[in-house]
Amino acid sequence: MRPTENIEKEIQNIPFNTNAQKDKEVLEDILNAMEETQNQQSAFTWSNIWRIIMKNNISKLAATFIIIAVVLSFLVTDKLNTPAWALSDTIEALKDLKAVYVVGAYPGGTAEIWMRSNDSGSYSTDSVVRGSQGAITWTKDGSTYHYEPSQNTVYFENAITIGLSQWFGPELLEMFSKADNTEIVHGKDPATGRERVMLICSMIDSNGPQSWIIEFDLVSKLPVAFKHWQNLDRSGQPAFEAFKITYYEKLPDSFFEVNIPGNPTYTEKPLTIPDENISALSNPRDGASIEGLSQQEAAEKTARIMYQAIIDQDLDQLKNIAPLCRNWNDEFLQDIVFKPDKDDRITEIVKIGKILKTGHSKLGLIAAVPTVLKLQNGKKVEEKMVIQFRRLGGKSTCVVHGPYGLPREID
Amino acid sequence: MIEDKLLIWRLKSGDSSALASVYEKYKNCLLKIAIGLLNQGSAAEDIVHDVFVSLAQSCDKLKLSGNLKGYLAVSVANHARNINKKIQIKQKARPEQSETGIRNQDKPEQWIVHNEQLNKLNNALAELPYSQREIILLHMHGGMKFAAIAKSQDISINTAQSRYRYGLDKLRSLLNGEVKK
Repeated sequence: MRPTENIEKEIQNIPFNTNAQKDKEVLEDILNAMEETQNQQSAFTWSNIWRIIMKNNISKLAATFIIIAVVLSFLVTDKLNTPAWALSDTIEALKDLKAVYVVGAYPGGTAEIWMRSNDSGSYSTDSVVRGSQGAITWTKDGSTYHYEPSQNTVYFENAITIGLSQWFGPELLEMFSKADNTEIVHGKDPATGRERVMLICSMIDSNGPQSWIIEFDLVSKLPVAFKHWQNLDRSGQPAFEAFKITYYEKLPDSFFEVNIPGNPTYTEKPLTIPDENISALSNPRDGASIEGLSQQEAAEKTARIMYQAIIDQDLDQLKNIAPLCRNWNDEFLQDIVFKPDKDDRITEIVKIGKILKTGHSKLGLIAAVPTVLKLQNGKKVEEKMVIQFRRLGGKSTCVVHGPYGLPREID
Repeated sequence: MIEDKLLIWRLKSGDSSALASVYEKYKNCLLKIAIGLLNQGSAAEDIVHDVFVSLAQSCDKLKLSGNLKGYLAVSVANHARNINKKIQIKQKARPEQSETGIRNQDKPEQWIVHNEQLNKLNNALAELPYSQREIILLHMHGGMKFAAIAKSQDISINTAQSRYRYGLDKLRSLLNGEVKK
């Protein structure tokens, strides 16, 4: 007969052993779970911070211009060459205008935008976006900054992510005219009674679905207003409505100088891609195998495949490595990406650099990698691409998401 | 206790070595609780695995300042209770398929290394009402005081104590061979 105390002792002293190999395996599982959670939380935290910032509509406005930047790097057609309104007239009107002042509204406020282009008028070099509630987004020395007064914080990234990679001009207009759903509408401005032409278009690019209405003045031939939506059907309030666009031949440097009051905190903006694009990047048949490669090697391999496809004008390969290109028709891709008849077409991969920064999408790691490219005209440009790392169907592969900021000419 | 407080602080700050220390320190007592509650090796192992994975995934949210062992023991008990309910439902539906008794004993990948004494104890525990079994194991292997057990189960301290006493008496009788199964 065991007394109660003895039973307690006996139970506690019963020999108990575990399988050492299993101990090790479970511990590995647990540590992996911790690491994965920490990685996800890191990405989640950054995404959340950026989402909070983006709730401020001035930031959305800045994003609007990123969109134009991405799309505008590619465009061309004669759809606009109607007897009443020829594209060539607009080209002539725009060719010496290297700076622009835009006034407009976004949900919750108004903004003014100053922007100027490089000497050849191919893309914007300097931009300042000032919101009515004190937020400012600007570019300087190849970086983009966003000041959030409510947080006394400046968010920055080492890329030009606002601006126009195709400056206001023929190629910009031609690009829009090449989009699948472009319509040209003629009419009178009810306010002024002046004749106007409206170009209506929509497309999906690396910033997600976009649509625009761009209004041209029939007399001056210049774009005088535009509306932009972050959807394809122009539903709801526009993300930005520019109701006044003024053109200048040049603007002094002082217009682009920004002085932030106080002593704000500087925080690097996370690398992100829109959730809407994840499904297009999720086809396991797309992409390049990166089994056994380091992150750097994988990013280099992926970028090289994409640029080689552009040099070789290989549409299938381009769509395979950069699946978002499937959102555009072949003619658009030929004219805007391959540019077979243009002297700024890519002819050589000079150098693929080190990964600049990494982030996380819902699919996994993303990385921005710079590439120096030689063009037909002998110039060199640096482009940064966002590479998506994936583990699908038991295989590790990479695809290109799209450009990270604007290209820049280098010596 | 101070050592646990330090471990919790390190866990909250994402220290993986702290997690490994917690695992080494408490895996055996949690496995004992789980196997004692369910008397099923594989289910018990899964529960403890899951409790540690949950801990790994929520270290930063851990609202705990003191008894880490008790926290983990209650987590195991809660998981086990859910599993036990499912087993009972299955048994009612298909009584010919008994879910009790140690299974998979000979499988090479088992985490718990079974022995005769352990099996005898677990078989005896399986004869107790679940509520008594739970209190005995939380008190003896989880190191929890009756007040803490009572609070975790939303019962009075007296109820917890009497369940423990009755359970232990029956367990003593079972192990002494006084009660026929």
